[in-house]
Amino acid sequence: MDRLENKQILGVIDATVDIDTLAPLTLNRPVASLPFSGRYRLIDFMLSNMVHAGIDSVGIFSHHLYNSLKGHIGSGKVWDLDRKNGGLFFYVQDKHDKENTQLILQHNQEFFIRAPYQYVIIAPSHIIGRIPILDMLKMHREKEAPVTQVVYAGKGLPIYLLKRQLMVQFLDNLDPSIPQTLMGFVEASTQHLDKNLYQVNELLFTVDSLTNYYKSTMDLLTMDNWNGIFSKKYPVLTTPKDEPPTKYLSGSHVTGTMVANGCLIEGEVTDSVISRGVRIGKNTVVKNCIIMPKVEIGDDCVLENVIVDKEVTIEAGAALKGNDQVPLVVPKNATVYKEWI
Amino acid sequence: MAKKSIAMLLAGGQGSRLKDLTRNLAKPAVAFGGKYRIIDFPLSNCTNSGIDTVGVLTQYQPLVLNAYIGNGSPWDLDRTNGGVAVLPPYSEASGFKWYKGTASAIYENMNYIERYDPEYVVILSGDHIYKMNYAKMLDFHVKKGADVSIAVIEVPWDEASRFGIMNTDDDFNIVEFDEKPEEPKSNLASMGIYIFKTDVLTEFLEMDCRNAESSNDFGKDVIPLLLDEKKKLVAYPFSGYWKDVGTIQSLWEANMDLLKPKEDATTNIDLYEENWRIYSKNPSYPAQYIDAEAKVENALVNEGCVVKGTIKGSILFQGVSVGSGSVITDSVIMNNAVIGKNVKINRAIVGPGTSVLDGRVIQPGEHDDGVVLYTGE
Repeated sequence: MDRLENKQILGVIDATVDIDTLAPLTLNRPVASLPFSGRYRLIDFMLSNMVHAGIDSVGIFSHHLYNSLKGHIGSGKVWDLDRKNGGLFFYVQDKHDKENTQLILQHNQEFFIRAPYQYVIIAPSHIIGRIPILDMLKMHREKEAPVTQVVYAGKGLPIYLLKRQLMVQFLDNLDPSIPQTLMGFVEASTQHLDKNLYQVNELLFTVDSLTNYYKSTMDLLTMDNWNGIFSKKYPVLTTPKDEPPTKYLSGSHVTGTMVANGCLIEGEVTDSVISRGVRIGKNTVVKNCIIMPKVEIGDDCVLENVIVDKEVTIEAGAALKGNDQVPLVVPKNATVYKEWI
Repeated sequence: MAKKSIAMLLAGGQGSRLKDLTRNLAKPAVAFGGKYRIIDFPLSNCTNSGIDTVGVLTQYQPLVLNAYIGNGSPWDLDRTNGGVAVLPPYSEASGFKWYKGTASAIYENMNYIERYDPEYVVILSGDHIYKMNYAKMLDFHVKKGADVSIAVIEVPWDEASRFGIMNTDDDFNIVEFDEKPEEPKSNLASMGIYIFKTDVLTEFLEMDCRNAESSNDFGKDVIPLLLDEKKKLVAYPFSGYWKDVGTIQSLWEANMDLLKPKEDATTNIDLYEENWRIYSKNPSYPAQYIDAEAKVENALVNEGCVVKGTIKGSILFQGVSVGSGSVITDSVIMNNAVIGKNVKINRAIVGPGTSVLDGRVIQPGEHDDGVVLYTGE
C-alpha cells in the first residue's frame, strides 16, 4: 500500500474513559497510562497499532490528571509522531468532571475540521493486541455502511472507523448540554447507522476491571499468547528508560515469569510479571504477582496474588496474600511494614 | 558560542584481534555487557560529566558506528548548540586522506574544534570500559595550571611493560614517558585520556604534522615532543574499574567481571548506579520471558530474551532465545542469537544473530586461549 493511501487516516484515542473498577490503580492516573506487561503503558498498544498503519497524526483526548500520560508520551518521538505536519495533539479537559468531554470536543472541533485526512479511527486506550487498521480500512471501502466497528469474540468493541466528514457532521449537531465522553458521543451519534463489522481473530484483551487487568497480564505468561501480542514484525513501541539488563543473583529461582530490565533478583519468582527496576530480596517468594516499576521487596517476604503499584517498599519479612480472582493491591508509593501484617 | 571544553573521541580502532566480531564494524561498536556497545561508555561519561559537544573520529568500517550514533539522542547529545558529530576522514582538493595516526585525526578536524572555540579539549578513545568524571579531571588540570593532563591508572607491575608508562615527580608532574618499557620505572599507565589547553594542542599538532618522520600518534610522537619542549604535563591519577577489551579473552573477562560480587571499586562497573547511567540505544523488545522449565542464576539478561534452558554465570544480550535442555555456562551470547535445544555452551562468546543448531557443543579447544568465539558454521 503506498504512502499517500496510508496517510488518509486520522487517529483519535479517547483516554478520558475512566474505569472505576480499576481503582485503586487509576486513582492518580488515567487508564491510558496504567503500566502493563513489565515495560509498557496501556496506551502504547493502540498508539503502536496506529503507527504501524502509517497514521502520522493522532489526537489524544484526556482528562486533567494526565501528567503521567504526557510524561510518558513526551514529544511522541518513540512513535515517530514528532512531526512538522501532523504528529501528536493533546486535548485535555480542565474540569474535574470526568464526563465533561463535550466541552473539549466543542472547543477543538478544528482538529477534525482542518485535518487533511479522509478517514478517522476512534479507539480507547485500554484494548491490548494487534488491530490491523489498514485491513479494516480496506473492508470499510468495499462495504456500504458508513461506519466500521471492530468485533472480537462475538462482541462489538469501541473502535470505529468512519469518514472524517461524517465525524464533522456529528460535531455540527453536538449538544453541549449533554455530558458525555468522546467515545460516548461517537456511540450515540452512530447508534442508528448501519455498521460493517470487522472481525479481529488474533488475541485481544480489554482491560476494563481489576480482575481483567490481572487476568490478561497472567494470560500473557504463556508462550502462545506472548507471541500473539508481541510479534517481531509489529513491535509495541514504548518510551525507553535506559535500564541495564536484569541481574539474576546466585540463589535466585525464576520460572514462568516476564521480567523487564534493570531488576536485581535474589529470591524466588513464579508465574509473575516483574517491571523495570524492581529489587527482590533473598529468600523472598513472589507468586502470581504483578510488580510495577521501582518496587523494592526486602528479604524473607512472601507475596501471593498481589498487585504492587509503582515505587512501593515492602520491608523484610512481610507477607501479603490476595485471592486468585481478586488480587490484593498495594497502592503507589506505599510502604508495607512487617508489623502491619 | 564558545564552550569551556569539548571532547574528541577517537573511534577509528580496527580491533583486528577481536577477529570476526570486528569484520563489519569498528572496535568501539563492539557489543558489551548485555546491552551496550563499547562507545556507550565514553559517550555516557561525557554526558554525565557535563560535556555536551563531542566529535567522534571514525575510520575503519564506520557504517555501523555512524548509524548507531545517529543524532546522539540516546546519550542526550542531540543539541542545537553542540551535540555529537561523526567526523570521518574526508577528501580535499589534494586527494583523499586516511587519518595517519591519532594526532593527525584531530589535526584534520581543527576546524571542528575552532567552531566551538573551547578553552580545553578532552581527547578520549573508544576502546575501554570505565566510568570517569571528566569534569573532575578538568578541575585538576586547571588547578595544576597544566598544559596537558594525562589520566593514569596503577597497573600490576608485571603487566606494566604492556602499557605507556608515566614517570612522575611527587607533585604528579610527568618527567618521562616510556612506551611499553621492558623495565618499567613506574606502574602508572596512560589511559589514553588527555586534556589539552586548546592553544597548546593547536601548536603541537601543527608542529607534529610538519614532521614527515612522525607517525602522528599522541603517545609515540606528541607527548614526547611536549616533554622535549618543557611543557607542563601532569598525571591525573584515576582509581576504579578500567579495562581494555581489545581481545576475545579480555572482552570475555570484562563481561564476566559484571557478574562478580563487588569487593571494591575495581571489581567491575556498577551498571545500576542511578546518577551515572550508561546510556545506549534502546531497541523495542518486550520484557524477557523466563519459562517454567528454565534455570537462571548469576546472570545478566536483557529484554526480548526467551529462556527455556539453564543459564549460569552468563550474559544474554537483547532478543536471544535459548531452547529447552540447553545449558549455557560462563559465556556471552550476543544479541538475537538463536540457541537451539540441548546445546552446551561453555566459556564462549557467541556473535550477534548466530544460530546454534540443536545438540551442538561449543567450548574452547586447545588453541583457543581459554575462550572461544563462535559466529556460526
